[in-house]
Amino acid sequence: MAPARSPLDRWARRVLTVVAAAAALACVRRSEKLPPGVIAVEETEQTASFVRNFNPLLEAGPVRWPTRRAMYEPMLVHNPLLGQYVPWLATGYRWSEDRTQLRFSLRPGVVWSDGAPFSADDVVFTFQLLRRHPALDGRGLWRHLQSVTAADAHTVVVTLARPHTPSLEEIAQQAIVPQHRWRDVADPVSFANPDPVATGPFTEVTFFQPQVYQVGRNPRYWQAGQPALQGLRFRAYAGNEQVLLALLHDELDWAGSFVPAIRRVYQARDPQHHHYWFPLLDATVFLYANTRRPPLDDVRVRKALSMAIDRARIAEIAMHGYTRPADATGLSDAYARYRDPAAVAAGDWVRHDPARAEQLLDQAGLRRGPDGKRRRPDGRPFSLTLQVQAGYSDWIAAAQIATRGLRAVGLEVVFRTAEENAWFEKLQTGDFDLSMGWSDLVTTPYMFYRSLLATATVRPLGEAADSNWHRFGLPQADPLFAALEETIDPVEEKRLIGRLQWLFVEHAPAIPLFPGTLWGEFNTRRATGFPDANNPYAPLAPYNAPQSLLVLTRLVSR
Amino acid sequence: MSYLLRRLGFYLVAAWASLTLAFFLPRLIPGDPARVLLARFRGRLRPEALDALRGVFGLGDGSIWQQYATYLGHLARGDLGVSISHFPAPVSQVIAGAFGWTLLLGGVSVLISFVLGSLLGVLAAWKRSGWLDTVLPGALTFLGALPYFWLAMVALYLGGFTLGWFPVRHAYDDGLTPQWSWTFVHSVVSHAVLPGATLVLATLSGWLLAMRNTMLGVVAEDYMTLARATGLPRGRLLFAYAARNALLPNLVGFGMALGFVVSGALLTEIVFSYPGQGYLLVRAVASLDYPLIQGLYLTLTIAVLGANLLVDLVSAWVDPRLRRSGSV
Repeated sequence: MAPARSPLDRWARRVLTVVAAAAALACVRRSEKLPPGVIAVEETEQTASFVRNFNPLLEAGPVRWPTRRAMYEPMLVHNPLLGQYVPWLATGYRWSEDRTQLRFSLRPGVVWSDGAPFSADDVVFTFQLLRRHPALDGRGLWRHLQSVTAADAHTVVVTLARPHTPSLEEIAQQAIVPQHRWRDVADPVSFANPDPVATGPFTEVTFFQPQVYQVGRNPRYWQAGQPALQGLRFRAYAGNEQVLLALLHDELDWAGSFVPAIRRVYQARDPQHHHYWFPLLDATVFLYANTRRPPLDDVRVRKALSMAIDRARIAEIAMHGYTRPADATGLSDAYARYRDPAAVAAGDWVRHDPARAEQLLDQAGLRRGPDGKRRRPDGRPFSLTLQVQAGYSDWIAAAQIATRGLRAVGLEVVFRTAEENAWFEKLQTGDFDLSMGWSDLVTTPYMFYRSLLATATVRPLGEAADSNWHRFGLPQADPLFAALEETIDPVEEKRLIGRLQWLFVEHAPAIPLFPGTLWGEFNTRRATGFPDANNPYAPLAPYNAPQSLLVLTRLVSR
Repeated sequence: MSYLLRRLGFYLVAAWASLTLAFFLPRLIPGDPARVLLARFRGRLRPEALDALRGVFGLGDGSIWQQYATYLGHLARGDLGVSISHFPAPVSQVIAGAFGWTLLLGGVSVLISFVLGSLLGVLAAWKRSGWLDTVLPGALTFLGALPYFWLAMVALYLGGFTLGWFPVRHAYDDGLTPQWSWTFVHSVVSHAVLPGATLVLATLSGWLLAMRNTMLGVVAEDYMTLARATGLPRGRLLFAYAARNALLPNLVGFGMALGFVVSGALLTEIVFSYPGQGYLLVRAVASLDYPLIQGLYLTLTIAVLGANLLVDLVSAWVDPRLRRSGSV
């Protein structure tokens, strides 16, 4: 109909050329340079735009990374690698004979970043704020406290309602705010504290934009010559892919992200500068069996479930070889010094042994029917639902491997992924058979085992429980917890925790799968001094406050 | 005039229904914002603190109907409340920070996609069986049918990572402050190229096919034969007679697409860390940030209804039959 080469054809081509040219024009890439001495750190919150919130007391809010990791400091910082408290704003602490009083000696010569002196009044004021505003007392400190007073300008006396030594962790690591700045804040809960005054190594907000912000060093920092860096820069990354790209592009110097096949993807790209350290210092990941739903109340059944699972395969495939099978004490490496080798050896029920699992199930009366599926003792069909939260691809893979193992011993297992809120709601209220879940990570295994064993933590079905979701209480364990609450003797503590390990191994209240990994990557192009396997002076992962202070005061720019 | 009044009445009802849904739907999701925090903190927040936080977030006082009444009351005063995921920033401020970027990226992309797609559609229909008509629609449909997430990741990898031509994230360079300068505008444009290009590529085929198909009908009309017989120049014939008439039905679609721009391109904004409304909504839902979800719904409702109103007005203006009969 139309001639082969019309003006229209040429015209269309011209349009396309113009579009292409416009695109090309816009494509000059500016690689952004950081000022000397400034390193880029990954924010814990994945977002496309930041809120300027530097309120260290509102733990539950979208508070910026440096707030409790570089700005506001606690009296002591617990270092899980040493198993010790590092003196920080306090030079030391002492328990009274009856374990109801804690005396902290504060470090003399510390000043706030505006020049005002730091004193015991600031500490007392901070604890009073928590008392007046329960929303700020996220850890529930005042359940155990009776009073906090200043004995003199550099001594704080904390009085507990009854002996409770595990409270030390929360008391000692509470971020302290300056009284002279916070006294007149009308509502400290919704106070965004845009211009912080603090004692930490980085207190000055150099600039703040929704996409990126930077904090600079505190010129009055109490550690002589620290920090050696000039500042920390934070960019908004909306997802893991963006964090990975930034790591590969040398745009991120310190991060705590999961990276698949990290040796090949990250380290091999620049072996001289790209480093990572994934120690097993995070909480153990469990498969919880709801012990309120028979036959999961039968220890034989729980042990059988555990023996049907191939943990080595989970560690190797689902977790990319970043972890190892858990032992039967459930303790991760964060509690390595408490681990009793005899208890570990006695815990044979974490070994992958399908034949033994079948035996135990038979003994428990769950025999295979004609179809090969196991039935309840009364002959009714028996099926278990295993729930895992959507979006955690590694956990989902782990749960799938576990499901396969359970099915291999004749159990009917329905595998279900649920959106995180729905999953957690079911976990809390006890509306599940089997569920993946984390465990408590604190300074000592006291809380860890308490959430797994203590009768005091058991809530009725239907009521939301903040821990002990498998709803298992062991009366024999309760006196051990009571004794732990009163002791400060490390030998006695270790002995008591050893007994708890034996109880755990005997009763298998929950099924430990693998110790959790603390993710940490660093790049030595701009700064050195990061901890790693060769120099494990503190955890590398930048997300655990206030441990990052230990790292920030060791970094040196190159 | 009664036509417009009726439409306005319809819009009011639609707005109320939509805002009511925006209130109740998020509350049907299991859990509440305080619980979500508990999950995020791995159970390490005390229940007492959660109860206190519920109070701070303005949750849980009174029955759901009382809350609904409060919500409507505040809405009438223009008070959208305080965002939970961006605590303590007010919802209006959070949305204001994202609205512009979404409008810019989404609006320009839809505009380019519509203009380019329609143009290509016109040309394809005019030169049936030409290379434009045989190769392009197929190729573009193929691109549009690809999972968008994958398309965006490939663009990110090739354009941003391998070739390094374009920045891979954000709306402008991190070192800049927003201002009317050549550097800043250039930065905004270069940051929008990758996300914008993927959006255009993914939607181009729709406009092209729609335009081509209506064009085919128009080209076959008697008046076109007559126009051609009178020997009008080809360009005039094409654009003043054929394309203009064929464009009408597509305008409605364009208006709708403009309205939905405000909802943001979720996946684009996630892949490119673009600080727009879509990503905001994803985050708001994940943290059950009721006030922010409601606020985002409000802007979406206003935008979609506004675009509809505009389409109605334009249609009534262009097509006199609508005004007379009032039937739509």
